[in-house]
Amino acid sequence: MAKQKHPNSSKSNWLFLVVLAFYLVVVVFPFLWIFITSFKSTGEIFGNNPFNIIPENPTLSHYSSVIFDKGIFTAIWNSLVVSGVTTIYIVFVATLAAYAISRFDFFGKNLLLGIVLAVSMFPQMIVIGPIYNLFVDLGWTNSYWITLPYSSITLPMAVWILVTHFNQIPMALEESAKMDGANRFQTLFRIVFPLAAPGVFTTAIIVFITAWNEFVLAITINSDASYHTVPVAISFLRTQFEILWGQVAAATTLVTIPTLLIVLFFQKQIVSGLTSGGVKE
Amino acid sequence: MKKMGFKGSIFIIPILILIAIFSLWPVLQSFTYTFFDYQLNDRSKAGLYLNDRFNVDLFNESSTYIDLFLERDMDNITEEEDVAKAEDLMARLDELDQEFEGESGVITIDDSVKEDIQAFHEDASTLVSNFNEKYDMQTGQNLPDIVADVDNSLIESNFVGLANYKKAFKDAFIGTATINTLIFTGVSVFLELILGLGMAMIMDKGMRGQGFIRTASLIPWAIPTAVAALMWSYLYDGTAGVVAEIFANIGLIGAPTDLLQTGAGAMTAAILADVWKTTPYMAILLLAGLQTIPKSLYEAGSIDGASKVQQFINITLPLLKPAVLVALLFRTLDAFRVFDLIYVLTGGGPGGSTETLSIYSYKVMFAQTNFGYGSVIVMIMFVIVAIIATIYVKVLGADVMEKN
Repeated sequence: MAKQKHPNSSKSNWLFLVVLAFYLVVVVFPFLWIFITSFKSTGEIFGNNPFNIIPENPTLSHYSSVIFDKGIFTAIWNSLVVSGVTTIYIVFVATLAAYAISRFDFFGKNLLLGIVLAVSMFPQMIVIGPIYNLFVDLGWTNSYWITLPYSSITLPMAVWILVTHFNQIPMALEESAKMDGANRFQTLFRIVFPLAAPGVFTTAIIVFITAWNEFVLAITINSDASYHTVPVAISFLRTQFEILWGQVAAATTLVTIPTLLIVLFFQKQIVSGLTSGGVKE
Repeated sequence: MKKMGFKGSIFIIPILILIAIFSLWPVLQSFTYTFFDYQLNDRSKAGLYLNDRFNVDLFNESSTYIDLFLERDMDNITEEEDVAKAEDLMARLDELDQEFEGESGVITIDDSVKEDIQAFHEDASTLVSNFNEKYDMQTGQNLPDIVADVDNSLIESNFVGLANYKKAFKDAFIGTATINTLIFTGVSVFLELILGLGMAMIMDKGMRGQGFIRTASLIPWAIPTAVAALMWSYLYDGTAGVVAEIFANIGLIGAPTDLLQTGAGAMTAAILADVWKTTPYMAILLLAGLQTIPKSLYEAGSIDGASKVQQFINITLPLLKPAVLVALLFRTLDAFRVFDLIYVLTGGGPGGSTETLSIYSYKVMFAQTNFGYGSVIVMIMFVIVAIIATIYVKVLGADVMEKN
């Protein structure tokens, strides 16, 4: 990874550092500013000096109102449930499918791959209308059943990443397992799964983040506040006539923490998942 | 590679079921919607009705009242000929009543029954208006309304064939939305590619702190787009927004409020927010591509006396092409279907200047509850996406499909 290349001159080295610093500032600045704002009083945010870096009278009132009045933790809980359930069943289904695609020859395999690719490309808006009607008919609006249609955005990418990973695991291991009398499922779960675990874990993280970020389905199908997920709940913090910036800032800070932790701990897996679709290894 | 066999099909049955129900069926269903005047807020159109239907309850109710009212007014009708006509009408009504005996709610009917009812309605309304002119009818005010309900109980099919598509061709909003979508997609993907490539090359220099830079880069990608959009709408705000203030101070815009309240400003704001969110992701994808290029190629290049620029053009670009194209394909499609960002940041405004196809179709479907026409807009998106994907896949050749 970190192959040290020695830049010819210290001049270009400096240029790189400046560009890099600018890049980091631009990337991090919005969060920093939101974090600062979350401690400012509403009077200061809309006052004569809205651009102070250090809040005049630091306050936690925005935090207490998003936690106690707006129930931001309900939204975080909903998001955890929905994204967690989606991750578990999607990774299971995608693992089975990707294993079959990587190891067996079967009728319609290319068609299946083509459909998976097509589904990952088509506009999500195309499924909303029929899914909405289906959920209304079944009485599934405002429930955790929303995890099922999440499959249309998460399943294709999960299959794609897993197929890439399975293709890197040598077949010889499975053949020797078969000689020892293991059946296909034993082979998959005892031999292949442990070897594929890093890939499966990578897939799980990417699926989780994708489900966590989903917006259109969530705002359309789960319109009741008690079933709002994080992105939807946050978008509802604007009232008709003014946006409560202090509360937006406090809520954004709170809901970004889980994402930050995931990125901090799993950045290697995320990068490997993001790039496995596009780069030959 | 093994044949899968019957037992092996258990591996792919779950994915087939999920994709069939939650991806393929909705696409076909959306396609079906486009042929109907399907509007959820209008009871007679809130479904896909290929056949004409008939509201038996409404008909029975009006039939009872017509009987009742005519009998009550029989004494007022003096001419013998008219009495016979009124009795004849009531007899016809009885016949129709018998036809629907035992039925209730809304049923489908065939053309002959439909014609009978229409003929009855026509005759009844002429007769009633005749009576009203000639005689002083006790129920004269209400009778025409009741007769009109006979016609109202007929619910015509809302199958409209290609009418929705015809409407779409004349709809100026679709043209504007398409242009907005293409501008957003083209400009943001272009900027993301250039900036992402630059960042990837800088990160590839292998400085210290790469892990930190990578972590920082992942954050914009990882936070929900809706959350990022709301964050930016604060930074862009005309009175409290620091970015709007900075832009106004360095002269990019006239006044801080211009950013979200003029058309060009709002589009720029949306594009910049997207560039902020996605450039780091692009950089990471391209960095991975750069790292697969063997460093020995560059060493050989510099021994042969190639300059940095020559190395970039002759070594980096050709070898990076597959990674660039794959990243471009998925970014283009992502940007083309942009919804969350614009929905939360500008809501399509001001005055529709940032309304993309996704936003427009969503408004038609869920604000106007017109699923038929909304689905046509979605289908137009579907076709454009298919065209974009085909072009990329043609250019990519075997690279994407043959990976497995």
